[in-house]
Amino acid sequence: MHAPATIASVVDLKVHFQSKRGVVHAVDGVNFDIRDGETLGLVGETGCGKSVTGRAFLRLILMPPGIIAGGSITFRPHAVCPACEGAGCPRCGQTGRTPAVCPACGGRGCAACGGTGTETVDLLALSGERIRRIRGDRIAMIFQDPGKALNPSLTIGEQVAEVFLQHRSADLMQAAGVEAGHFLLRRFASQRAGTPERLLLALPPLRGRRDRILRALDVMVAKALADTQIPNPRKLMDRYPHELSGGMRQRVMIAQALACNPDLLIADEPTTALDVTVQARILELIRELQRRRKTSVLYISHDLSLVRRISDRVAVMYAGRIVEIGSTGEIFRDPRHPYTRGLLAAVPSAAIGRGKLAAIRGTVPELVDPSPSCRFAGRCPHETGACRSYDPALAPVARGHSVACFIHHQPLAGERPSFARRSG
Amino acid sequence: MVDALLSGAPVDAPVSARQVRLRRGLELAASVLSNPTTILGLAIITVLIGMAVLAPVITEPNVPDPYQMPRDWGAVAKPPGTPGYPLGTTNEGGDVLYGMIWGARTSLQLSLTVVGIAALVGGIVGSVAGGVGGRVDEVLMRLVDVFLSIPELIFALAIAAVLGPSFGNIIFALSVVFWVKYARIMRAQIIHIRQNEYIDAARVIGDSRLNIYRRDVLPNAITPLMVQATLDMGHVVLIGATLSFIGLSQAGIAEWGVLVSEGQAGIAAGRWWASTFPGLMVFLWALAFNLVGDGMRDVLDPRTESGR
Repeated sequence: MHAPATIASVVDLKVHFQSKRGVVHAVDGVNFDIRDGETLGLVGETGCGKSVTGRAFLRLILMPPGIIAGGSITFRPHAVCPACEGAGCPRCGQTGRTPAVCPACGGRGCAACGGTGTETVDLLALSGERIRRIRGDRIAMIFQDPGKALNPSLTIGEQVAEVFLQHRSADLMQAAGVEAGHFLLRRFASQRAGTPERLLLALPPLRGRRDRILRALDVMVAKALADTQIPNPRKLMDRYPHELSGGMRQRVMIAQALACNPDLLIADEPTTALDVTVQARILELIRELQRRRKTSVLYISHDLSLVRRISDRVAVMYAGRIVEIGSTGEIFRDPRHPYTRGLLAAVPSAAIGRGKLAAIRGTVPELVDPSPSCRFAGRCPHETGACRSYDPALAPVARGHSVACFIHHQPLAGERPSFARRSG
Repeated sequence: MVDALLSGAPVDAPVSARQVRLRRGLELAASVLSNPTTILGLAIITVLIGMAVLAPVITEPNVPDPYQMPRDWGAVAKPPGTPGYPLGTTNEGGDVLYGMIWGARTSLQLSLTVVGIAALVGGIVGSVAGGVGGRVDEVLMRLVDVFLSIPELIFALAIAAVLGPSFGNIIFALSVVFWVKYARIMRAQIIHIRQNEYIDAARVIGDSRLNIYRRDVLPNAITPLMVQATLDMGHVVLIGATLSFIGLSQAGIAEWGVLVSEGQAGIAAGRWWASTFPGLMVFLWALAFNLVGDGMRDVLDPRTESGR
């Protein structure tokens, strides 16, 4: 069984928001793939829909006012490698994970999995219970501001422990050496025990086993924290978030996110709230962990230089669309879309003289009920007549490099604007 | 490998989370106590609650019902200092000191019951409104608006008057009036807390809604409710005494408002004591809880954040 090249595919994703002035098309027909083990950088300015796209993977969009107006996000979850039980072996490429077998056909290939034999799910169509099992286990997310993303009333240890309690209760009970079938202990190890049950567990016949579970949990948490190069994790576990520095908090978030060895990590501007020096170290940490575990990463950022350092491929987003996607080298060496060029030119460097900051003229268009046209028309220096009435689709210009712009391919005869979207 | 680490783990590890929590609690208590007026309030509360708890020890309970004022028709309107009646008696021969001490017991009962019911009902209604949102929120909050549009004293008075004069009815009437504030506070807190990124972060790791509510929302939403509850402990007694004063308690009960009302007829005749001492108790009770409530708010309210 060979691993499919893509871990997730976003197809024609549309996320709209109901507002007083009309329907805001925040994400309007986005297509891209995330390849297994790669880091895909998603860049764009504030409000272009990059965060919404990232959040759609985990269905974190507040509904209402949000509406998933169309499209799908297919995802191929992995399972623990049967040959090495997660330790890492040649068969799974030292990742400890292999693609999960399609439950519908048992790996023979069927319509549900597109003939690949591996489990394929549409994240947007999953039931609440199933998406909950994927969250934190197969797909994890780290947020922009680690200060806000940690619960101020729980200790670090308690918060990291939650991931294990949610997704690894069987392993936890095994590590603690308690009988897996015990009803109360099982509820305790999966964080489902209510107050009366907890009281019962604090009493002698069960108390010893409960403490064994807690100790095993502490070991798991300490190991997860140590993985993100946190010195003295045991001491840190008893601290509250406000007692930690920003960089340390983000390490905790990363530890929590990677605790269950996920297949995909969605990093939503994880270093924006940090100092530049801390930023570099966190970036290095994500890169290092990603290399070691071969986790795929969707790295969302507005910072081009940062994305250049971390990504294998880059997707540039503008006004709810992907305008250009390609390998990092291609995009930075040979940007094709006028917007990408503008963005790259706007990055100040030491070589540019004082007072000569470049900017893209105009402002981001309103995304309320947009008309079929290129979203960049009006700000674009190369605008032609077609740009105002047709919607450019993403089309390849070089190997693994696609652009949605009429400079590179004319609108097809009879092409209807609303159908002018093809998978990149 | 886990086993190897396990054997090296400190034996007291499971206890540490509790110790940390205790330490945090002590820190907060210390910062609450750094304010002298709060300490004064706490001292008064301690004395008053001590009186309430030890009432049967301090005074000989009246038989058959200790909550009824004992009547000595041979000693009507005696001034303070009369042997056997250190604070004097009322026009009906009631011992003022007895009324003050057992009145503390009645007040404690009244305020704990009312605040308990109000905080519970209001907390649940507010959580549902803030948590579910949409139409449910709309309906519940309009209901709250209706309750809030009637002045609380008049509302409580109307309910108690309709139900007839009894102390139990006063408790009920006050509970009906007081829950709305808690519902409002709770709803606002829930909505505010839910916007925090750590709620998203909890969802992202696969937590269930109930778990998120229990571990992430509630602990962070509860402090303003606690402050309000403390302030209301005083407020409830104040309004309860007012209702009793008007005559909505059953007659003869050992309650401060009733005593003030019994004594007020004598004030013009110079018999000041029967109203003054119980009135002072109501004042002290309300003052003490207000002082402590304000002190707690200073420490716990993020808007006046200093120590955290």
